[in-house]
Amino acid sequence: MRSRVRMTTCCLWAAICLLLLCGFPALGLAQSASSTQAAAAKPAPAPAPAMDAPLDVKAAQPPSTDDLAAKGDPGGTSTGTVSDVVVSDSKKGLTLADVVNQVGQNRIGINFTWTLITGFLVMFMQAGFAIVETGLCRAKNANHTMMMNFMVYGFGLFAFWVCGFAIQMGGGAPYATLGGIYPLNSEHVVTFLGKPWGLFGTHGFFLSGASYDVGVMVLFLFQMVFMDTALTIVTGSCAERWKYVAFAVSSIFMGAITYPLFANWAWGGGWLSQLGGNFGLGHGYCDFAGSGVVHAVGGITALALSMIIGPRIGKYNRNGTPNAMPGHDLLVVLTGCFILAFGWFGFNPGSTLGASGNGALRIGSIAVNTMLAGCTGSFGAILYMWIRYGKPDASMTGNGLLAGLVAITAPSGFVNTVGSAIIGLVAGVLVCISVEYIERVLKVDDPVGAISVHGVNGIWGVISVGLFADGASNYGGSWNGVSGSVRGLFYGDASQLIAQLIGVGTLIGVIFAISYVAGWVMDVIIGQRVSAEDELEGLDIPEMGALCYPEFALQHQGVAPSGGMAAD
Amino acid sequence: MRIVGILLVLAGWLIPVVGIAITQSRAARFVLVLLGIAVTLFGIVGVLNKAHLKNAIWKV
Repeated sequence: MRSRVRMTTCCLWAAICLLLLCGFPALGLAQSASSTQAAAAKPAPAPAPAMDAPLDVKAAQPPSTDDLAAKGDPGGTSTGTVSDVVVSDSKKGLTLADVVNQVGQNRIGINFTWTLITGFLVMFMQAGFAIVETGLCRAKNANHTMMMNFMVYGFGLFAFWVCGFAIQMGGGAPYATLGGIYPLNSEHVVTFLGKPWGLFGTHGFFLSGASYDVGVMVLFLFQMVFMDTALTIVTGSCAERWKYVAFAVSSIFMGAITYPLFANWAWGGGWLSQLGGNFGLGHGYCDFAGSGVVHAVGGITALALSMIIGPRIGKYNRNGTPNAMPGHDLLVVLTGCFILAFGWFGFNPGSTLGASGNGALRIGSIAVNTMLAGCTGSFGAILYMWIRYGKPDASMTGNGLLAGLVAITAPSGFVNTVGSAIIGLVAGVLVCISVEYIERVLKVDDPVGAISVHGVNGIWGVISVGLFADGASNYGGSWNGVSGSVRGLFYGDASQLIAQLIGVGTLIGVIFAISYVAGWVMDVIIGQRVSAEDELEGLDIPEMGALCYPEFALQHQGVAPSGGMAAD
Repeated sequence: MRIVGILLVLAGWLIPVVGIAITQSRAARFVLVLLGIAVTLFGIVGVLNKAHLKNAIWKV
């Protein structure tokens, strides 16, 4: 009993001592009384370590090279240590400057790798577009459609290297995630209505001069594959009647002028992106990964050229009613849709241009938003077609998936998962209604539904930023130079919606007008459309000189592939 | 007709662009933007497309 009392007394004294030592300063009671004493007692801050002083590497316990040589590193615990930090001066050994520089280069290295790999994914989308479009066309035009999709990559790349990239990004610096990219620092600006209006960039032609820079190269690759996606949209809507030479000239023009202009205004520091700073409209035009810049530009150019070229022979009856002209291979259409959905994980998450710093870790939610919107897009389309026509239409379900992905491209970095699901669902229904409207009311022939998938839903994606942006993402502190997060109408900022609608007006106004006038001039000079005879025969032989499916043609003529007669 | 259509398309774009500079009112800007989009769409659908449909291949 006595020992228990003694123990309790000891505990009490210990508690009191602890309170005296720690509690009073924490409560602020001792602050006024002993502020000068505390200041005197406070140890002087340690001097900052010299950046070029050699560091004690042994303290970091570098692995023994002898051990590694003898046993290897099966557990992965000895690989990637202090021994792997690059030393700038071997005489001095490892310094703090070396460590800090290595940290910076690691961050940029992660961002370069991320941007390049996602760019490679987007490049693979060309294969998806090629087989979706070819599958939705008739077999007699398969080689022609495939070759348009194949060569649009080369034509577009060439034009973008010559001048497209400079027009788009020549004044876009700095890009913090890619190390600054300072050579791209010259934008042509005019003053109009008392405000500066950035129109196009002027540095980076042929990627020469100061643009011969590692960061510029990474940005070029990523932006180039985006541009090519826009170009390949047009080949779908104009398929089965477009002269190959007209397609080539048109693609070069679009890669050099039309696409880079709008991309500069939205992404390269141009006037649309400055609507926030100049006119107080939210954060200016916001298009995270390109619903407007890539898809709507492609879709609207497709509309302009489809109007000029006209519908395929047999698409409309004399009274104007449309005929169905089904594609020849649903298998490749739906496979292509999957390839595109896969590539979209490069398209949207890659648009952070990095995976480290400046809010880039949001790549997780961007990828999930992308996935969800594609899913609900296919839901919307399949349900619409099932309810309206009694069957779940395969090609429209594929288009619904793509429509959802197109629509989420602009808002993917600004919205939450509920918003992305709604955006995708609306897109899935919208693409079905739009296909019917364009075919039956406008009587514009679009064999693959590209105008609806990319044009209409690209515009829907741009508008949805102005509605659903939830103000939770804040890349590097600001977007388009306006501090704070992007908020749409439903989250308290109506002015953001106005900025988005001005972007829509520019797409259907300026981009349509440029595309239409250029297409019209080309029609007068070289002609856009093949002859009626060639169209009826199929474009594979007249335009390309080879059939895509020669055995099928032989069977049709009564000759078996082996050379014998085919059975009827 | 085609030139009229193109001019309408461009005029529709100019309405909101000039509009945001001449007024600070959010409602007025919103109305002007919608008006501009409507004019542009009329230029595309109502004028240009009609001009193309006049001589459409399926009417011949």
